[in-house]
Amino acid sequence: MKTAVTIPKNRNRRSLSKTDRLTLTTFIGIPTLLQIILLWVPAVVTIILSFTYWNGIRLKDVQWAGIQNYKNILFNNPLFYQALKNNGIWLLFFIVIATPLGILLAYQIDRGIKGHAFYESIYYLPVVLSLAVIGIIWNFMLQPGGFVQGLMGRDIGNAISIWGNPKINTWVILGIASWRHIGYIMLLYLSGLKSVDPALKEAAAIDGATDWQIFRKIILPTMQPVNIIIVVITLIESLRAFDLVYIIYGSPTIFPLLNLLVFQNFAGQGISMKGAAYAVILLLLCIVPIITYLRISFKEDLK
Amino acid sequence: MSTGVVQSAEYRNNQKRKDTFISIFIGFFAFVWIFPILWTVWTSLRPYNDIISYGIFSWPRHITLVNYFNAIKEMHIGVYLMNSLIVTVPSVILTLFFGSLVAFVVTRYQYKFNLWILLLFTAGNMLPIVLTYIPVFWMFIWVGELFGNRNLLYNNYGGLILVHVGFQVGFATFVLSSYMKTIPKEISESAKIDGASVFRHYWSVILPLLRPALAALSVLMTTWIYNEFFWALVLMSDDSKRPITSALRRLQGQYVTDFNLLAAGAIIAASPTVIMFFVLRKQFIAGLTLGSTKG
Amino acid sequence: MSEEKNVLSRRSVIKGAAVGGAALAAGSTLSAGSADAATKVKGSTVKWTTRGGGATGDAIAKAVNDAFTKKTGAKVVAQQVNSDDFQNNFAQIMQGSPDDAFGWMAGYRSNHFGEMGLLADLTREIGHLKTNLPAAAIKGSTSPVSKKPYILPTTYYPWGLHYRKSMVKDIGMNPEKIGNWDDFVKLMTLTQKKGLVGYSLGAKGGWEAMGTFDILNARINGYKYHIDLLNGRAKWTDARTKETFKYFAQLIPFMNANVMDISWDGMRDLLLQKKTGAMMMGSWFANDFKAKSQADYDDLWVVPFPEINPKFGVDTIDAPLDGISVAANGKNISGGKALAEFWASPEGIAAAVKAGDTNIYVSKSFDTSGYDAFNKQKLAVLAAASNIMFFLDRDARGDFAGPVVGPAIQNFIKNPADINKILENVQAQWDALPKQ
Repeated sequence: MKTAVTIPKNRNRRSLSKTDRLTLTTFIGIPTLLQIILLWVPAVVTIILSFTYWNGIRLKDVQWAGIQNYKNILFNNPLFYQALKNNGIWLLFFIVIATPLGILLAYQIDRGIKGHAFYESIYYLPVVLSLAVIGIIWNFMLQPGGFVQGLMGRDIGNAISIWGNPKINTWVILGIASWRHIGYIMLLYLSGLKSVDPALKEAAAIDGATDWQIFRKIILPTMQPVNIIIVVITLIESLRAFDLVYIIYGSPTIFPLLNLLVFQNFAGQGISMKGAAYAVILLLLCIVPIITYLRISFKEDLK
Repeated sequence: MSTGVVQSAEYRNNQKRKDTFISIFIGFFAFVWIFPILWTVWTSLRPYNDIISYGIFSWPRHITLVNYFNAIKEMHIGVYLMNSLIVTVPSVILTLFFGSLVAFVVTRYQYKFNLWILLLFTAGNMLPIVLTYIPVFWMFIWVGELFGNRNLLYNNYGGLILVHVGFQVGFATFVLSSYMKTIPKEISESAKIDGASVFRHYWSVILPLLRPALAALSVLMTTWIYNEFFWALVLMSDDSKRPITSALRRLQGQYVTDFNLLAAGAIIAASPTVIMFFVLRKQFIAGLTLGSTKG
Repeated sequence: MSEEKNVLSRRSVIKGAAVGGAALAAGSTLSAGSADAATKVKGSTVKWTTRGGGATGDAIAKAVNDAFTKKTGAKVVAQQVNSDDFQNNFAQIMQGSPDDAFGWMAGYRSNHFGEMGLLADLTREIGHLKTNLPAAAIKGSTSPVSKKPYILPTTYYPWGLHYRKSMVKDIGMNPEKIGNWDDFVKLMTLTQKKGLVGYSLGAKGGWEAMGTFDILNARINGYKYHIDLLNGRAKWTDARTKETFKYFAQLIPFMNANVMDISWDGMRDLLLQKKTGAMMMGSWFANDFKAKSQADYDDLWVVPFPEINPKFGVDTIDAPLDGISVAANGKNISGGKALAEFWASPEGIAAAVKAGDTNIYVSKSFDTSGYDAFNKQKLAVLAAASNIMFFLDRDARGDFAGPVVGPAIQNFIKNPADINKILENVQAQWDALPKQ
């Protein structure tokens, strides 16, 4: 005689006790509240303030400005366009040069060349350093009186202008930023590569495929989700570029970046809500990568 | 058939040559890669007078640790390191704790808003810092005034910890929730059948299973929060309360011409995360893997 | 706007400071009113911020603060901060939990933040010090809008043309006779012929080049035009402004190649290492020369920037006025005010000088009779001018000087040919500023 033990289907939805409900609410509530108060409310405040005139000190001084701040930025401020250009160059450099180098590095290391664990660590080392430290390290290399200058036989008096020369400084800064970015991408890709079936690679090798063909036809397609994540991370990192340039220059006048412009205008001695407007423009630029990231990461859940 | 074997051998030899070449290239490049760091360490080991008298490329007449002693003494690096500790450890613990709470609820219990919470948290992690930092400052002062003490959150370790947690909890939630999806539903089912409260469910059943992910994440989080320097510049007006990475700004300006002292200070500041990286490399990589690739 | 009233003919300032022989009596005391204030703060803790200055700054602060503690029984807790970070985050720091007293700058920076309620009103303290301060210094510390002083004036220094006497002699010129534009160009040309830099400038910080612009504009178009320009009553696109930049452009070929790479300390180093002919700077760096060697310090010289337009001669100079301010949100305001007053008083000044402070104090009690040759020359440079400006980023609005004029001058140095476009842009940005 079979007795069917019926297990209720909606087990999940059986009513929770009051304590349980309280626990759940607290579990979700406190972190969410924290997020909202520390991130989203300030973001909204900044957005609202971008439509006002204010010097940031006394509430009663707030005046409505409509889109004047934006008009001022778009039409009167050459620094803005220089910053956009620099952010754009940063982005392109990362996408076309830095990230692919990281991927390439990961691929070669994954193939098991001698000493690959050692290389992993070396290439990743810049990523674990604080940008404050990185700024000091590279200053030692490049500033008047530094290593590179010394190599060229120049001391403080006739040092080649690196930080200040607009033709050179962009590439130098991007180089330093890539120094860090490549290691980061390399490690991300490496971990993804470990999930590629080695049998596939071996089979292709036996069939006479070159390295490059294996990479293109087998690895890249298998790594599709990781590829997109990497692209998005590259996008976001280049838009958020700030710390390094702040450490080197402190102000946005020589190498303007959107983040630096926000900092210069939103705080300090000459506060104006142009800073808020810059921040909002930056946010608008970030929205596409952010949404892309969300869609990919939550692809299954969103269906 | 035999030609295939011969081809294979030739191909393998070619590969070997290419591989050696690539190895050498990557090896050389690795040296170039790490050279700036090596140069800084080298600078920190030479006394100031040597450099002044003989130039930066001079053959070392003395190798000394005196710069490190001076750095600790003059720059009060001990104080700053302690500040870093006071800020980083609670931030990491709280971030992981809150992240695990949210991930727990969102993956173990079906609610309509689950997805939205996840989206909110993940997106929050990617907002540019400059978008929020001034209103956060105003908020801290305002809350402080409400309670009669401006220093309740501003210029206070607590306030700095709060912002770090707020900023990083999104990433922690994201990673932990993808990790939790790999924990079989049956475990939670049996806990619920056994009549465990939500709290027991979390604390005794799920949390122990999270250990590997928490370990990996904690290494990552510690590195990120320790390395962060911007918030402390804005929110801590007392220089003596700043973490080491923020204090480096002041030290850089004050000792701008004393390369060797500055180099020693920078190396000391960099040491905790570098040491942690070498010792806990596996956890590091695991943390990144969890975060970047789903499942 | 009203910033212009900060900048006045302040000849009496110099006259007051240059009175030698008024020896500091050991027993000189603060007036009775401030003695009351002193007793009120006994036993309390006052917090002090030293704005930059390295080890010397700390030593001077310690000396003065210790003397204050001895006199009043109040404890002083001092910290040093990075000057740039302090300035860049000033509004936040003042709204947060600032130290009670700190060194600050007269002009827009004290007036504006005082009017906004972030700096304490120091009318009473100025009253106590009235007998020691020249009227012009008091006026320079007072906001023209609220008529209240938010800073107690202490020191000032001239911006002048600095060079090394030995180097000038080497090229066959007389160091005592660099008086007009032609002399100046000759100095730079001959120095450059020797393979060195003619005129050093470090524009990385954005403000250094303002010194050159200020003085050129004042020499060519006069003090009144310059002040009008900074306050919107004259236009950046005016032919007269363009004339100033034409002269500025003449200097560019003589400059060091790494202008954008170095800040003021790089300029100083160039002079210290005998690699440059001349530079336009404030005289505060002279201490560093003295620290290197007495010979270097003796070799240092300064003169007023040479005359260009005979109508104006050398009647104007940038001589920024520094002082002590008290934070309105400090925990111990009365303590802060007492400490500030002490720093600005003859006793405090004596302690600072003894600890190595080489600045020129505006106080009438300041004894310059023991001044060495260079310092006497500084006084002479100051005395030669009848109009005193504070420097562009203290005489103009904060949201205009740093964010707009600084980058504009930097862009000009990089691309002098773009000057018309740059000036149009500066004018447009001025026009777009909201009322304050």
